[in-house]
Amino acid sequence: MSDTLLEVRDLVTAYGKIEALKGVSLQVKQGSITCLLGPNGAGKTTLMMTIAGILRARSGTVAFAGREMTSLRPHAIVASGVALVPENRLVFPAMTVLDNLRAGAYQRRDDFAPDIEKLFQRFPRLKERSAQLAGTLSGGEQQMLAVARALMSRPKLLLMDEPSLGLAPLVVEEIFRIITELHRDGTTIFLVEQNAHMALKVAQHFYLMEQGKVTFSGDPGSLAEDEVIKRAYLGSAK
Amino acid sequence: MLADLVQNTLDGLAAGASYALLAVGFTLVFGVLRRVNLSYGPAIMLGCYAATFVHLHYGAGLLALAAICVLASVAAGAYVERLCFAPHGKGSAIAAMVASFALWMQLEEVAMLALPRHLYPFPPLYEGGPLAFAGFTVRVEALVMLAAAVTVCALLWGILYRTRFGVAARAMIDSPVAAELAGINVPRISMGVFALASAIGGLAGFLISASVEQVTPMLGMWSTLKGLLAMMLGGLGSLPGAVIGALVLGLVEAHSQWFLGPQLRDFIAFLLLFILLAVGPRWIRSRHG
Ligand SMILES: Nc1ncnc2c1ncn2[C@@H]1O[C@H](COP(=O)(O)OP(=O)(O)O)[C@@H](O)[C@H]1O
Ligand SMILES: [Mg+2]
Repeated sequence: MSDTLLEVRDLVTAYGKIEALKGVSLQVKQGSITCLLGPNGAGKTTLMMTIAGILRARSGTVAFAGREMTSLRPHAIVASGVALVPENRLVFPAMTVLDNLRAGAYQRRDDFAPDIEKLFQRFPRLKERSAQLAGTLSGGEQQMLAVARALMSRPKLLLMDEPSLGLAPLVVEEIFRIITELHRDGTTIFLVEQNAHMALKVAQHFYLMEQGKVTFSGDPGSLAEDEVIKRAYLGSAK
Repeated sequence: MLADLVQNTLDGLAAGASYALLAVGFTLVFGVLRRVNLSYGPAIMLGCYAATFVHLHYGAGLLALAAICVLASVAAGAYVERLCFAPHGKGSAIAAMVASFALWMQLEEVAMLALPRHLYPFPPLYEGGPLAFAGFTVRVEALVMLAAAVTVCALLWGILYRTRFGVAARAMIDSPVAAELAGINVPRISMGVFALASAIGGLAGFLISASVEQVTPMLGMWSTLKGLLAMMLGGLGSLPGAVIGALVLGLVEAHSQWFLGPQLRDFIAFLLLFILLAVGPRWIRSRHG
């Protein structure tokens, strides 16, 4: 199992009495794009927030690179090499684009100016707007910024929670182009998506999640795409 | 009449400068933690009592007293943070506020155990009389206060906009969850912000005590009230707003005191607080809509 980068086992996370995750187990292989699909309310965001340490698991474990990290605080999880691009982007709206990137580099003690330069080459729009407040950017630009901010910590594993949500088709294409580029450059990616069609094109492995449980796991092609899409949007019960 | 207006304006700005120092510290904590720290003033009061205690028993120069005020306020502030704010991290704002009220009582008890009389003298900031020019008078203490307020605001701006700590603190003000996701050590930054706010408060407490040349336990409530009022006037949580709110508060007090008499000075502050609480929610919503 040496090529398993992230291992989630029997994870239970609850909001009060309601269990949003009812024992989730899954793996993300080193160097892969792994995708998590499922209808609204399935618990995908809850899973991401639990892996990132924002939510505390009631039971179960999360291991990253063989190291248990269920009890770590969020900043320690970032330090160990896992960064989450959260749902709805969550940039720092009253801070400049540049300061958003600096915040993403908080864990780093080395000189990160070259990283900013590199990210500006990848996201030229961010360079143009580097002195602008993040709250004034368009949705697509904010998504780019959220990705760039996460990359500032030089993650080995990038978690992305619905990066295409609410974006125009052209911008969605650009997001997916960036995902494949990052993957090619060696970043392992665990991607939550509603856009099953696009997700299945880039992923090597995918999981289906419904009502707090993993209900299917396979490679793209192991289940007819229209069946995946049906279950990803509606759930298999309906 | 016009001369009085000018004189009142000068006095109001001088008072406003001291409120500005108090308000900046208060607002810093509110902005970063989204919590009202009622023990903000009492921690400052305790700092000033520590300095008074040293002054009475051992004697010390003004600079040493200033240092004691700042350090003791920071220590008391850190104590409040550990007990009221750190444990409630994501919990209810009300619980933290009530806890900070309980500590207020505790800090007052400690101060009154150490120095049981109601009033103690504090060494003066400046021995000479006020400066006079063109028929107006300005106290040297007021000029020191203004210079301190300007310096502190400039330093604070530098910290917030030119340091790694400042990036982290502003990130927390903007979005606490995103700050954690960015890898910011949120508990450590909270503690740092608390210490910084308490240090500013301690400096304000020292300057105020040395200007009025006395300390009473009332300094605690008074400081919390002025800080809270200025912050609310400035639109809740904005640092430049808090400075403007503090100056407005100082000016309103100085002018209304002249019209209504000195007994009503603090009444005016309470009246403003009442009006803000009555119409405040709408004003705040309109600014944060
Ligand atoms: N803050 C919250 N408090 C209570 N229940 C929540 C909260 N966030 C999500 N839930 C519930 O948990 C379940 C999973 O939600 P979520 O993880 O956001 O799903 P997804 O991201 O797959 O749409 C849903 O039933 C949702 O209503
Ligand atoms: Mg979600």
